[in-house]
Amino acid sequence: MTKALTYESIHVGDAMPAFTSDPITRTHLVRYAGASGDFNPLHHDETFVKMFGMPRVISHGMFVMGIVGQAVTDWVDDKNLRKFGVRFSGMTEPMDLDDPNSRDRATIVVTGNVVEKFEADGEKRMRCEIQAADKLGGVKLTGSFIAALS
Amino acid sequence: MADKSKVGMVFPPYIFEVEKGKIAEFAMAVSQKESKSQVKQIYADSGAAKAAGYKDIVPPSTFQTCFLLWGGGGLMPMLQEVGINLVRLLHGEEEYEYLLPIHPGDVMTGVIKVVEMFDKEKKGKPGKFMEFTVLEAEIRNQRGELAMRARTTLVER
Repeated sequence: MTKALTYESIHVGDAMPAFTSDPITRTHLVRYAGASGDFNPLHHDETFVKMFGMPRVISHGMFVMGIVGQAVTDWVDDKNLRKFGVRFSGMTEPMDLDDPNSRDRATIVVTGNVVEKFEADGEKRMRCEIQAADKLGGVKLTGSFIAALS
Repeated sequence: MADKSKVGMVFPPYIFEVEKGKIAEFAMAVSQKESKSQVKQIYADSGAAKAAGYKDIVPPSTFQTCFLLWGGGGLMPMLQEVGINLVRLLHGEEEYEYLLPIHPGDVMTGVIKVVEMFDKEKKGKPGKFMEFTVLEAEIRNQRGELAMRARTTLVER
């Protein structure tokens, strides 16, 4: 059971509920390309990436940030999100459907911790540090968000 | 190589009309769902959004990406104008500040400015540099109110 999100009930060091994505497939990348408008062929066209010696397409960084955004707003209400920033540190390859062993490298696990409670602009807020990594431990991004608390 | 004389340059504004179909499509993409009935309903259903205390449907937290990519001429012509080498380009950082709610029907205008360009020596590779370009966007609604700020750090390796 998730703790109620109030200034009194939240403490520095508390973990946000862990979030695990579905394994990212090329179909997810195509859907994200269409939704976002980012049609860089790096993210869907294997004949393009092979020219640069890459074995397969890679995910949009912003898709991974979008997954992290889902994890964050599963916990805090969208309307309470004040700031959300990430630093990208690793690429994500989608799973190959003919290789079940590739699922883990394409599955994103989002974790985070409350690092600060403070008041600003007349409201109570918390800052959390967050990280997204694949199930093999490869870090994709680190960052933080600020949310208002009641 | 990024052209450092471009610091301070402001790109022509881009305009994006927020549509509920686009919000639902984006929500499906980032939540890896096949239909809009499976996404968080504040992203897809006006009644559910109102019941949750919103004026109307709201977009997911990273929806801002669409404003630029669908509202402007896209990122590539902008990057070329700043002299960024696309083959060496990495997305370094992205940060959003949320100031006012955004709903379907809003018409957003974004203005992007080149705020910083600098080099950083590569770790363990003396004399080799990564080049950083930092862009900041101010996104206003049809009433001219500042609704969001976005900060993007691009890296040429």
